[in-house]
Amino acid sequence: MASARSDIHGGAAAVPAFTAHKILVAGGFGAGKTTLVGAISEVRPLQTEEALTTAGIGLDDLSGVGRKTTTTVALDFGRITLGAKIVLYLFGMPGQERFSFMWDELAYGALGAVILADVRRLGDCFPSVNYFETRRLPFVVAVNCFDDAPSYDPQEIRQALDLDPGNPLVLCDARDVASVKGVLITLVETIASRRSAKPGPARGRTAPPQSASRLGH
Amino acid sequence: MPADDTFPQRESGPVVRPYAVTGGRTEPADGDVLRLLTVLVATGRPLPTDDPARLAPEHHRLLALCRRQMTLADLAADTALPVGVVRVLMADLTELGAITVVAQRSADQKTGNDVLKEILNGLRAL
Repeated sequence: MASARSDIHGGAAAVPAFTAHKILVAGGFGAGKTTLVGAISEVRPLQTEEALTTAGIGLDDLSGVGRKTTTTVALDFGRITLGAKIVLYLFGMPGQERFSFMWDELAYGALGAVILADVRRLGDCFPSVNYFETRRLPFVVAVNCFDDAPSYDPQEIRQALDLDPGNPLVLCDARDVASVKGVLITLVETIASRRSAKPGPARGRTAPPQSASRLGH
Repeated sequence: MPADDTFPQRESGPVVRPYAVTGGRTEPADGDVLRLLTVLVATGRPLPTDDPARLAPEHHRLLALCRRQMTLADLAADTALPVGVVRVLMADLTELGAITVVAQRSADQKTGNDVLKEILNGLRAL
C-alpha cells in the first residue's frame, strides 16, 4: 500500500497512467444500446442529475412530485481496457429528442459514435444521425438484427436514412461480442481514414457536403 | 396510527436530494469544468484540519478512490452519485489541493493516428 501510494505521489506532476477515449452508443429506445455495451464491457449505470427543462413537459409525469426541478437520467457506461495504457469508454446516449440537452456533454471529446438502428423503427435513429452529421462526428450505423425483424438490403436502409457515403452501415447482433467488436473496429477504421483524408483541422468549416462524399466507400 | 406518522415513501422522491451533499451547489467552486473523462488523482496533500470546507463523507470517499488515477465518470459510477454532484465535490477537493487533474481533453483535441492504431489493435485482440 505504502509503496503504491508513493508511486503515485512521488513525482511533482502526475503522469497519466492511461489515456481515456470515448465512444458513444446512440439510438432510439429499445434499439439495444444496453445490450451492446454489456456484450463487450462490464456495464455500470451512471447517474446524471439534470435540470428539468420544458422539453420534458408532458412527457415526464410531474404530478405529485411538487417542486421537483431535476430529473435523474441513468446512462449505460462501459469500460474496456485495451493494453496497458488505453481505456475505451462506451457511453449509452439516449437518442430521444427530449434528451438532446445532454448530448453535447456526452459528445464532448468523443472519438465517434455507433448509432444502433432497429429496422422496425428506423425513424428513431434520425435525431442521432442528424446530430452527429451536424457535429461532424464520425459514426457508424449498426442495424441490430433482431430475430423477429424483417430483413432489408443494407443499401435500402442507407437510402432510407439518407446516409453520407463516408458513414458506413453494418449489420450486427448487439448480443454477440464478436459482432460488437466488428462494429467498433469499423468505427475506429472510419475515424482513421477520415483523419488521413483531410490532413488539416476541420475547424471553421461550415459546408458539410463535398468532403464527406469524396471519401466514397 | 395517524397518516402523517407514516414515512412518506416513493411519492416524495429520494429522502436526501442529490445536491444536499454539495450544500445545494450545482456549479463547481472554480471555473474549470471537469469532463466525464477528465482523469484525476489524489495529491497526498493532507486536508486542512480546521475543515473550512465542511467536507462531507462523500468527499472522503472520493478522495480515497483517487489513490489511483480515476476518471470523473468512474468516480460517479463507483460511488453511485450523480455526475453533477461528483463534479462539484471534486472541484472542492481540487481547490483544497487534495486532488489534481492529470489529463483533461479539450473539445477539439484530435486523437493521434498512433493512438487510433493502438485502439484498433487492442480491439482486434479482445
